[in-house]
Amino acid sequence: MALMLQSPSPPALRRLLFALVASCAILGLDIWQRPLVTAQASAQWPADTAVPDLTRLQVQAGGEIPMPAGMAAAHASSLLPMPSGDAASLSVFWFSGDRESGPNVQIAASQFDKSTQQWSPARFVVNRFVMAEQLGYGLRRLGNPVAWLDGGGRVHLFVVATGWGGWAASRVLHLRQSSPGRGLAELAFEPVRVLPLSWLWNTSFLVRNAPLALVDGGMVLPVHFELGIKYPTALRFDNAGGYRGMVRVSQRLHLLQPSLVMQSAHAWLAFMRDERPQGKVTVARTTDAGMHWSDLPDLTLDNPDAAVAGLGLSEGQMLLAHNSSIASRGTLDLSRSADGRDWTLVKTLERGGHDDEYSYPAMAWLDGSLWVTYTVDRHRIAWQRLAAAPSAGTKP
Amino acid sequence: MTVPIEHWPALLMATDAPALPTPSVMQLWLRLGWSVVLAWMGVLAMGRLAPVSARQGAWQLTVAGLLAMSVWLPGPYSPAYWLGLAFQAPSVVTALLCAAVLVERLSPSSVAQGAATAPNRLKTAFAFTGVVVGWALLLDTFALLPLQVYAWGNSAAAVGLLVVVAFAVLGGAAQALRARTWVVPMALLVFAALRLPTGNVWDAVLDPWLWVALHVHLGRRVLRTFW
Repeated sequence: MALMLQSPSPPALRRLLFALVASCAILGLDIWQRPLVTAQASAQWPADTAVPDLTRLQVQAGGEIPMPAGMAAAHASSLLPMPSGDAASLSVFWFSGDRESGPNVQIAASQFDKSTQQWSPARFVVNRFVMAEQLGYGLRRLGNPVAWLDGGGRVHLFVVATGWGGWAASRVLHLRQSSPGRGLAELAFEPVRVLPLSWLWNTSFLVRNAPLALVDGGMVLPVHFELGIKYPTALRFDNAGGYRGMVRVSQRLHLLQPSLVMQSAHAWLAFMRDERPQGKVTVARTTDAGMHWSDLPDLTLDNPDAAVAGLGLSEGQMLLAHNSSIASRGTLDLSRSADGRDWTLVKTLERGGHDDEYSYPAMAWLDGSLWVTYTVDRHRIAWQRLAAAPSAGTKP
Repeated sequence: MTVPIEHWPALLMATDAPALPTPSVMQLWLRLGWSVVLAWMGVLAMGRLAPVSARQGAWQLTVAGLLAMSVWLPGPYSPAYWLGLAFQAPSVVTALLCAAVLVERLSPSSVAQGAATAPNRLKTAFAFTGVVVGWALLLDTFALLPLQVYAWGNSAAAVGLLVVVAFAVLGGAAQALRARTWVVPMALLVFAALRLPTGNVWDAVLDPWLWVALHVHLGRRVLRTFW
């Protein structure tokens, strides 16, 4: 470089050469730092055994998950099936405190013990002050935990963490298990980062629904933007939990809380909450594993501006938990579909009055059973386990 | 080398291969970035509000130093705790610009040695580019563009484009300019090396507060030109 600058070439040429060399150096350094380009995503079915006839799903067990002592508010549960060698078959995470958005809201967790067939007493696993200390800056409130198990068996939590403002000032905080084990007694998390999703001071993205698992051990996490308008986005992560980019799911500006459901390895549906009055469950589809999405006509299912949860179990077998009444979250239904367009009621999970609330369902499929958790009146988290009842001619 | 060279062309355009900063580097930048910005704000405020006798170098240096050091206080005692809560970390360009202005203010002799100031048209070109890019990013934030501009900032192609634009704008006036002229190329170098502040190149070159300041700069230039 020094030789080049001392050469007798004209100043303009020297400047051009310098700019060229500097540009190549910066670009080369940038590319050198990057991970390899990811292969096309390929979704993975949650069930590793044959899925039973969904028309015969019946409630096998249910109840309420123990709450942390003295906490009046609970909301937005997330279910995580645990590896087969663990003492617990499932973990559930939710946010709890004196009241929703209260200063003492933390992320609570409980685990379903295989031997006792009971949920363990709840324990707080994420505190905003502890996380703020580790991040170096404050978090005003926490909410909507979403759990995921990476390729190495570590638990990750994606949590809504607000900045200055209400929920619209939210960011998605990525946490990773820091404890050696996954047992509830020792389960602890450390912050990885606030995901970089928006130029506007990194607001206003929220997470709510479960990720779609990929064959490579990674996943696609649905999130949504909600400052004034609302639109859904899908984030991709590799099998170690590394963030690999974002793709907008819909061009419409009133859709939030997407729930991803696979139809095949590369064809997925996103079912969404509709914030419009008299709204319907809305849907978008991708056929190239999330690289491009297109909006589909709304479903005929009513949606009272309430979260839905979908699950694809095998080709032509999809489930959707949703509030089915207009202007109320008092009824929570479970429906099934073969194509994602036409839905048939399997079972009403809860039916209450107009002012009752059974909302924010989460679902997981484990060992031939469907597990459902949901919020009850913003005070408790309830659960149900459904399995196929034996058909009439089947011997016990 | 993490990536074989035959994969570089594919990596250039990919938006799904971002390299993100490590948590420790991000935490360091949060404090370092805000310490520089606050020191600059302190010197700026002193230059405008303090009595003339207090606008001397020693006073300015003291205020800048105190503000910069306050950022390193622990937890909620640090302004970075609250600034990060509201605005995350400043862009690299903002921090470098503030640092360059601080050096010029606190060490006027270095400016004299640095010879000519940046031509107005150069400043205007950078400001105009920043304003346009900021509008594109804002409209994209609200999903009002068919393209996903912010997501494209995860690609190496975006870095390449910004490098080319930065050097092209500098091309006609790269002789004997003040340090702040080199802020954008330097910011891109910092980004390429450390991925600061988020791993998305738009966050390295432009933050919303800088974008607002560029509007003010452009507005004043327009007023001076036409009135």
